[in-house]
Amino acid sequence: MKQHPYRILIFTISFIVATFSAKAQNETTQLLEWSVLHGLEYEIYAGVNIGGTAPMPMPAEIRKIDGYNPMLNLALGGNVTKWIDTAPQWGFSVGICFENKGMDTKATVKNYGMEIIQDGSRIAGNWTGRVDTKYHTSLITFPVLARWRPTARWNFHLGPYIGLSLNHEFSGTVHDGYLREGDPTGTKVVFEGEAEAPYNFDSDLRTFQYGLQGGASWRAFKHLALRANLSWGLNDIFKKSFKTVEFPLYPIYANLGFNYIF
Amino acid sequence: MKPIRYIIPLTAIALAMTGCIRTEPLNAECDIVAATLPGDVMSQNAIISNSEVIFYVNKGTDKTRLAPEFVLTEGASINPPSGTVRDFETPQTYTVTSQDHQYDKVYTVTVNNPGISLTYDFEHIRYVENPRYKYDVFYEVNPDGSESFEWASGNQGYALTGRGTLDPSSFPTYQSADGHDGKCLTLTTRTTGTFGNAMNAPIAAGNLFIGDFVVNPSAPAKSTHFGRPFDRKPINLSGYYRYTPGETYYRLNKSLSDKLEPVPGKVDEFNIYGVLFERPEIGYLDGTNILTSPDVTAVALFNDGDRTPSTTWRHFSLPFVYLKKLDFEKLFDGKYSIAIVMSSSIDGDTFSGAPGSTLMVDQLVLTCEE
Repeated sequence: MKQHPYRILIFTISFIVATFSAKAQNETTQLLEWSVLHGLEYEIYAGVNIGGTAPMPMPAEIRKIDGYNPMLNLALGGNVTKWIDTAPQWGFSVGICFENKGMDTKATVKNYGMEIIQDGSRIAGNWTGRVDTKYHTSLITFPVLARWRPTARWNFHLGPYIGLSLNHEFSGTVHDGYLREGDPTGTKVVFEGEAEAPYNFDSDLRTFQYGLQGGASWRAFKHLALRANLSWGLNDIFKKSFKTVEFPLYPIYANLGFNYIF
Repeated sequence: MKPIRYIIPLTAIALAMTGCIRTEPLNAECDIVAATLPGDVMSQNAIISNSEVIFYVNKGTDKTRLAPEFVLTEGASINPPSGTVRDFETPQTYTVTSQDHQYDKVYTVTVNNPGISLTYDFEHIRYVENPRYKYDVFYEVNPDGSESFEWASGNQGYALTGRGTLDPSSFPTYQSADGHDGKCLTLTTRTTGTFGNAMNAPIAAGNLFIGDFVVNPSAPAKSTHFGRPFDRKPINLSGYYRYTPGETYYRLNKSLSDKLEPVPGKVDEFNIYGVLFERPEIGYLDGTNILTSPDVTAVALFNDGDRTPSTTWRHFSLPFVYLKKLDFEKLFDGKYSIAIVMSSSIDGDTFSGAPGSTLMVDQLVLTCEE
């Protein structure tokens, strides 16, 4: 069954804390000294992801967003940055991040093409009415970022990432509307009151994601910085073979949190 | 505080989510949503389905010069236009074009006096077909060869489950070759798969009835709109049937994952009945009240225990029992409707029955008083 996403996060926190505290005392000091000499810097960070998977641009069939719940999506990770000796304002970093991305949305659509295939059965047609969607994924991402620190406090970053999803969910219901079977001239099937049709596209989601992320951190204290960044998925969350949702959906999430810099 | 600045990416997301709603697309639908005849000639509201309009007119109405008026989906247009005088001795067609001009639909418009043919041999079918499925629609003809009326069935609902194929006998209601005389009607109870299950309708009994089928997912028993205007006094319903009950009877149980709870020992039964009723304002009785409404005037039913399975053709004869006095004046004015209903599972209206139960019917005769 599905792994609880927070279990992964707690595991990660323990792992990172353990790693660094094991090397505490002398070793840590030595390592950090050695690192400084070689222009290396370590940071860990924690934050929340707020955003959605959205079509870009919004298709005309989507008439209204009736509700949106960003949900509590945690992100936890670490980076190693190498500052360039000859141009100390510039550097690059590699990292690893365990994070959740998800949202709950309620939308009103008009004449929204849909085709659902399940166990060999198939319904196709045009839906006008309400669509509720729940999207959630837990993933490991690996960002490779260019770094720029114009001042001692500010640190900007931008670069690509790849992500592997550990588990994912995309499901929901359609209700309060009607289906025109086949196309807009087809039989009209009205869903009203408590009538609703569920859908579930979990198995049509991709495992591999990639995109760009960029942002900044502001060093409030010697070891602590506030951070904000935007990660913009560049591939559709669905597999290529999946045609039900006619337009690609991209995960676009802001991450807000703090860094601990060693 | 500087962190205020970090609100900016958030705002960008919010804009991405809500700020980009584009101009509303033009309507793609092309429906006739209402239809009337000017003057006081209609004996009941027009019956409008997805591609057909049926008017019932009072006796003595001149059908050669009628100018129906239509209300369409917003922005759609109709040709010939609303209000055009046409000759409805035979059905006429109209083409409705959507506001976005991408879709059009041809409607057949029929004007009928009350009354339908009285013998039904299930020889005539037409198909509803598309690239994925094909099913039979039964219709009856008058002695002069003109079409009398079209039977309704739940095939349209079954098509939505995606279980039907290009073979019409994959549907619950279909024609088969080995009738008592020529071809016959065959009804088979079927399971409905993932989609039907999700709608709490795991079973579809084969059914055929006089009236209209309008899929109603929130109250499936209200999908069956029974009856057509009728101006004669029915006294008997007879015909031939064959019946094989399916192996295991299942009762709908919404708490189970497949929604089907086997009922050991219970044998499925078919149902065939006729009902004459005074037509209520809404124009029909439905699956929730066809036998219980105070508007029911007479019924022709099998007695419990008489619905015997039979692998060979078996004759039946059901007298109409009058529960109320028939008002002949209203009868001649076309204020009554008749419904004949057949089902391969008697509890099909509550999605209970035995998958595989098969009822075959041929040579139905509705006998009326002269």
